Amino acid sequence: MITIALPSKGRMKEDASAIFERAGMKIVAVGNDRSYRGRVEGWDDVEIAFLSASEISREVGAGTVDFGVTGEDLVREGLADADARVEFAARLGFGHADVIVAVPDIWFDVETMADLGDVAAEFRARHGRRLAIATKYWRLTQQFFSGSHGIQLYRIVESLGATEGAPAAGQADIIVDITSTGSTLRANHLKILSDGVILRSQACFVRARKPEHEGNPTVERIVAAVRAAL
Amino acid sequence: MPMTDLPGFSGELLDVFAARRTERVDTPIIQPAEPFLDIAGEDLRRRIFLTESERGESLCLRPEFTIPVCRRHIEKATGTPKRYAYLGTVFRQRREGENEFYQAGIEDLGDKDVASADARVVADALACLGKILPGRAFAVTMGDQAVFEAVVAALGLPVGWQRRLVRAFGQTELLEKMIARLARPEAMAGLTPEVETLLDKGDDAALETLITARMDETGYLTNASRSPADIVRRLKEKRLLAAASLDAGKLDTLKEFLSLNVSLRYAPGVLADFARAASLPLNAAITGFDARVAAFANAGAPLADITWRAAFGRPLDYYTGLVFEITARGDHAVLAGGGRYDRMLTLLGAQDHIPAVGFALWLDRIEKARASS
Repeated sequence: MITIALPSKGRMKEDASAIFERAGMKIVAVGNDRSYRGRVEGWDDVEIAFLSASEISREVGAGTVDFGVTGEDLVREGLADADARVEFAARLGFGHADVIVAVPDIWFDVETMADLGDVAAEFRARHGRRLAIATKYWRLTQQFFSGSHGIQLYRIVESLGATEGAPAAGQADIIVDITSTGSTLRANHLKILSDGVILRSQACFVRARKPEHEGNPTVERIVAAVRAAL
Repeated sequence: MPMTDLPGFSGELLDVFAARRTERVDTPIIQPAEPFLDIAGEDLRRRIFLTESERGESLCLRPEFTIPVCRRHIEKATGTPKRYAYLGTVFRQRREGENEFYQAGIEDLGDKDVASADARVVADALACLGKILPGRAFAVTMGDQAVFEAVVAALGLPVGWQRRLVRAFGQTELLEKMIARLARPEAMAGLTPEVETLLDKGDDAALETLITARMDETGYLTNASRSPADIVRRLKEKRLLAAASLDAGKLDTLKEFLSLNVSLRYAPGVLADFARAASLPLNAAITGFDARVAAFANAGAPLADITWRAAFGRPLDYYTGLVFEITARGDHAVLAGGGRYDRMLTLLGAQDHIPAVGFALWLDRIEKARASS
């Protein structure tokens, strides 16, 4: 039995269902509409689990489900060594959002990550503490700041909601957050750095890298069907 | 199965520590996480074991000894100079090796004679390894940020660029990118015409008023970490940095310096030749460098086994001078690593400036090296 985890509500659920329907895999709920189990018409060896998007990335990472539809940002943030543990089998063309670095737009002198590196380096001497970044993406932030840009001197302030308000509220100096149109950022007087896009994310069809998938015809058929529907 | 017994050679190591006049100290395994993240940076977060107390205080399992030993020193306020030794478990999330392993080392605090303290600590490390890996030959690689700082300063770059390059010291890719950028000046993008005009005119007051008004309007001013004056100051600095470049000769000089890699026996001569050929005024740095080499010789450190690599450094702001690593000759595994961290004690809250140098031994790798011989 192959299990596919799909978002349990909202736009993501509808968009995902539409793609599967085009792929010839019409999904029907088991029991009532709000059930968290489903099946695929005509595919008896496939079952559907409806989960939240962040649970889906975790379950695919752990291999407790075989496939999942979830945002690339959640997979890369949630899993160390994401590419070794899961395969991005298809990018689905919806749920677009960018993970970005944004600073107060009044920081006229900060346009690039190099500028931010300069500011971070002298932050402690000038302000008595490290530059504080509000984010819920601590893994992506570290990889981008420390790995790609050699910036070591900053502190992450975990933010679980309304991250874009953190600089004005004095909880942090800058943010790393997700944005699709940028309008929330503008409303909060923040600007994205010119080289500050960490990840261009969208909904992805993700496969857990499990040895038993090797040579499994159902697994191959599912991937081919979804890819053909795009 | 992790090896949780004390390594069999611990006793011998403690004998060396005692013979070399150190005071053995221990520190709690559960440590406040804040000082580690603050001093060593967020990059450490994914490599340590973090937890939280009931009151929300962030705690971690001791990932290394230097910070706890230094904090203990500041707390006890027993004065300097002090030579501390430690041996105990540390905890790190590692891809290779166990997550729980033993480290031992020495922290040498407060000796104002930098050259002799540097030499003593390298000799300490070699003495430890010599005792627990008898009959083996070792290779020491050393770097010196102070020399790099002097070279960069002598090239006549603006202070902001000097700081950038020093920050990238030891990170080859980043440094190469910066050197490539320095080949030609850069345009300064992203400014509104209004800001551009005020900046051209050098009207700092008007610029500051503009920024203040904007901050006020958006309600950002109350919590602003960077003041309007901060922003104006850096705007001006940024303009200076954007305009800066190095001619081909100076770029070659910088690249040539970074490629120097010689036995410490010949290093003073090579460095002096380099300075003369490039016509760089490096006298102060060369004096310090030569003093250390002389001190190494005095301390009985085998100069032939020590290689000076000009580009060898660590990207953390508390490392200020010497850094070194020791391997068994012909092997890659680093058995000991250390360096000078003169800025750390002040960052940790010490009232006085306390020069500091030390090293750590990777006992799990040493254990392997013993088993393989």
